[in-house]
Amino acid sequence: MDIEMVRHLSDLGKLTFTDEELEKVAKDMTGIIEIMDTIKEIDISYDPIKDNHNVYLNGLREDRAMDSFPTEKILQNAVNSEKCFVVPKVVE
Amino acid sequence: MSAYIPVIGLEIHAELLTKSKVFCTCSAEFGGDKNTRCCPVCSGMPGTLPIINQTAVEYAVKAGFALGCDINKFSTFDRKNYFYPDLPKAYQISQLYLPLCINGLVPIEFEENGEKKSKNIRINRIHLEEDAGKLIHDDLNGVSLADYNRCGIPLIEIVTEPDIGSAEEAKAFVEKISLLLQYAGVCDCKMEQGSLRCDVNISIMKPTDTEFGTRAEIKNLNSIKAIGRAIDFEIYRQAKLLDMGKRVVQETRRFDDNRGETKSMRSKEDAHDYRYFPEPDILQVNFTDEDLDAIREKLPEMPYKRLERYLADGLNETDAKIIVNKKILSDFFDEAVKTYSNPKSICNFLIGELMRRINLGEIELEKLPFSAEGFAKLVEMADTDKVSKNDAKDVFRTMCEKGGDPEEIAKAAGLLITNDTGKVLEVIEEVLAANDKAVSQFKNGDQKVFGFLMGQCTKALKGVCTPKVIKEELENKLKSI
Amino acid sequence: MDITALKIRDMRTMLDKKEISAAELTDAYLDRIDKTDGSLESYITVTADEAKAAAVKAQQVIDDGNAGVLTGIPLAIKDNICTDGIKTTCASRILENFVPPYNATVMEKLNAEGIVMLGKTSMDEFAMGGSTQTSAFKKTKNPYDQNRVPGGSSGGSAAAVGASLCAAALGSDTGGSIRQPASFCGVTGLKPTYGRVSRYGLVAFASSLDQIGPVAKDAHDCAIILNAISGYDYHDGTSAKLDVPDFTAKIGQDIKGIKIAMPKEFYAEGIDSDVREAVENAAKWYEQQGAVIVECSMPSLKYAVAAYYLIASAEASSNLSRYDGIKYGHRSETGDSYSDLVCNSRSEGFGDEVKRRILLGNYALSSGYYDAYYGKAMALKQKIREEYAEIFKGCDVILTPTAPTVAYGINENISDPAKMYQADICTVTVNIASLPAISTTCGYDKNGMPIGMSIIGKHWDEASVIQAADAYEKQFAYQPAKI
Repeated sequence: MDIEMVRHLSDLGKLTFTDEELEKVAKDMTGIIEIMDTIKEIDISYDPIKDNHNVYLNGLREDRAMDSFPTEKILQNAVNSEKCFVVPKVVE
Repeated sequence: MSAYIPVIGLEIHAELLTKSKVFCTCSAEFGGDKNTRCCPVCSGMPGTLPIINQTAVEYAVKAGFALGCDINKFSTFDRKNYFYPDLPKAYQISQLYLPLCINGLVPIEFEENGEKKSKNIRINRIHLEEDAGKLIHDDLNGVSLADYNRCGIPLIEIVTEPDIGSAEEAKAFVEKISLLLQYAGVCDCKMEQGSLRCDVNISIMKPTDTEFGTRAEIKNLNSIKAIGRAIDFEIYRQAKLLDMGKRVVQETRRFDDNRGETKSMRSKEDAHDYRYFPEPDILQVNFTDEDLDAIREKLPEMPYKRLERYLADGLNETDAKIIVNKKILSDFFDEAVKTYSNPKSICNFLIGELMRRINLGEIELEKLPFSAEGFAKLVEMADTDKVSKNDAKDVFRTMCEKGGDPEEIAKAAGLLITNDTGKVLEVIEEVLAANDKAVSQFKNGDQKVFGFLMGQCTKALKGVCTPKVIKEELENKLKSI
Repeated sequence: MDITALKIRDMRTMLDKKEISAAELTDAYLDRIDKTDGSLESYITVTADEAKAAAVKAQQVIDDGNAGVLTGIPLAIKDNICTDGIKTTCASRILENFVPPYNATVMEKLNAEGIVMLGKTSMDEFAMGGSTQTSAFKKTKNPYDQNRVPGGSSGGSAAAVGASLCAAALGSDTGGSIRQPASFCGVTGLKPTYGRVSRYGLVAFASSLDQIGPVAKDAHDCAIILNAISGYDYHDGTSAKLDVPDFTAKIGQDIKGIKIAMPKEFYAEGIDSDVREAVENAAKWYEQQGAVIVECSMPSLKYAVAAYYLIASAEASSNLSRYDGIKYGHRSETGDSYSDLVCNSRSEGFGDEVKRRILLGNYALSSGYYDAYYGKAMALKQKIREEYAEIFKGCDVILTPTAPTVAYGINENISDPAKMYQADICTVTVNIASLPAISTTCGYDKNGMPIGMSIIGKHWDEASVIQAADAYEKQFAYQPAKI
């Protein structure tokens, strides 16, 4: 796997690597992809119907509202202000 | 500017009127203090799992039927992966491969160059997905505050084929969708509250082109009017670019309502790779034919059928359309006609009096202080001369202010026409006795003074009988003097 | 007598007969943890105060005569299972101080049974690994030889059971993470059928493969715990709406006539000769008891590791996207924009193996690669399920080695992540096919390191798997870790 691809994939995953790290990661990923590529030999395709678990409409959850969690519990692990999560500005 | 053909497709998001969210049991009610309608599931905590809401699925299918769609009897969910602070799991559970509804059709009517036109807009799909949260921007501190109350509210996304050709068509379409969804009872379609949102995909092409042009996506349209203005501006902008030999860039643009212009957004993430894959936490949904029939039956009589019926009942087209265009009004009308089966008469009083007061802001359709039966009763009373037509309006005013039964109100105000001939003669005698000068004038041939005497009698006899009776009796009496 | 070495059912008897008290039992474990875990490092968090308080409560229940089978029994819980009010880290810096505001369903069930939770055990970071050496906090050692790994990702749980630092433990298994460490640490570990145990509160690694399961001294103890934690949970849409049978019901029933399949690909050159010999000897023992050995084949086994890693990493890359430092977890000190803050928090918080899996997952799902990788892996998943279904037409259970080797040295294999992946060949197909499987000790190599064998059952047939393992265990000469 080349460094460009690693950069692209790390962008998708919101990860940053230094240039030295990138080299090592690219090397590791190349070895890993080699194993993954073994599946290219076999020619089969996925059939979503075979994975049908036969759940029907009336097997789904009834539409009933229940108590929510108190705001403090929702925020207890976060940097928060005015009952909200604090996020740096998104550059738009 | 050369003639270009606009090619427009819409993506409409509608919030479903369920009691709980689509993947958890938090309340789906509008509003609420920040982060008070959240749980570990909708706030994306580790270890949590979605549990899909049966009614949300049902409402999506109902919407599909209302828009003439086919339903996929085996439907699956997929994850759409991207990072944004209003999306706690950093993926949205949506449907890509096998959405609930496909291949629908919505007829629209609109005006073009003063001509009335109609057209069918094809629906590509309707799928079910979850809403994201809200960001409140605190520019002073350079941060945003995230409120997750709205995370997990069920949305349906309605995607049209690029069949729409103008701003007028687009507006007519959105109004039609809004009407159909209201009839289906699945969404209250309040654009100003955000329960109905519309994104526009628009490109233009020359009649001789074989392929569509490059399209731009326009977001942040908060009203039907804005949709129209944005489209008009965008057609103009793209045409200008092409005329100058430049190219249209594929991008997302934001509509600036104040200026009536679209502006390029430095995109959230250019050319998103959403890496869609089947949602492993949700085990698909299957429908039997009976399931689908049962849902279809829950649809009320739809607008076009009601319109046909009203026209057959003798209502004129304008009035019929006014009534059909608000389900709550049409339901009210139908309910009233059940009590007093005179559709034309009910319609006239409805348009003339009820709508008038609603338009004046005196009463709200959603919170009428009287029932449809009461309303119908009043109309019947006026028609059968139990009250005079003018007095009926007064009774109605009282009903609007305080509610109540029309017959009781009329009785209490002494407006009930009893046609009590004895009383009539008595009052006439009194009036004539009190006005012998006028009587003499009449006897001497002054016809005009009759009107004065009529007025006096009517005043004194208010509500006891109809003017017709008063006139008759007065004439008789005067003859006999 | 060392009460910490007792089986759960023997503790139960002694507690109910008042021969020991719940507090004594709990204190004995806390004491032993204090003395031993400094070097073994199986626990990330020891909840001593909570444990003592729970023991007091349990004693009350015992005194009232209302004790259930697990009342007062001290258990350890893998640190990827959410415990309300108690730090749950998944052995990752990114969740260093995360305190869940809710309990996993399995915790609610166990708490209702009156267990005593001793603490949260170490693991490979986010359950990604086979050695527990990727833990950001405690790199657990093997109780048999502290220069060797305990296996992973439930290495902390397996080591704690193997060293008698708890009566039993909960682990999680996505590609072998209960079974392989159980085999390395000389104890018994069971992965239930997918959907048997609720995943609500289990921090997700690969949603279609993860299951919580017991690690204990033997199959019977595993069955006791499985009884308590199984069952439909409406919080988990993938949990099965099936009644929970008594998983101990078939224990002691005759295994004569049971058909045991041994697919030949599981015994190929990649397996160490010591391991192969021990498992084959176990097969011979079963035959002597009247079981029938059936030959069969699983041709797709050679693609299994690739299929597993592609599916697991794809799901993991999505499941781990929520860790951005904003709602919980490590929040970087640097990063002025949203994007920078998220990137920095994640890059600082995740270890190397987790990052590799995220990259692999994104690769498998990205546009242009989806069909060749993720799509193909899903197709292989279906094929492997079909091959198992075919094999199960002719047998009741399947016997395989749990791992190709015994526990290896702590510094071996770390430079070659790809090589580590290959070692999962014996376990991953079980998760791919959603089947139940148990690993139990079937021998020791010349260095005294435990060798594990796996018994795989049909969907929902944990009872047969437990029965078969228990039959073997009853006559097996255990060599407990000298720790």
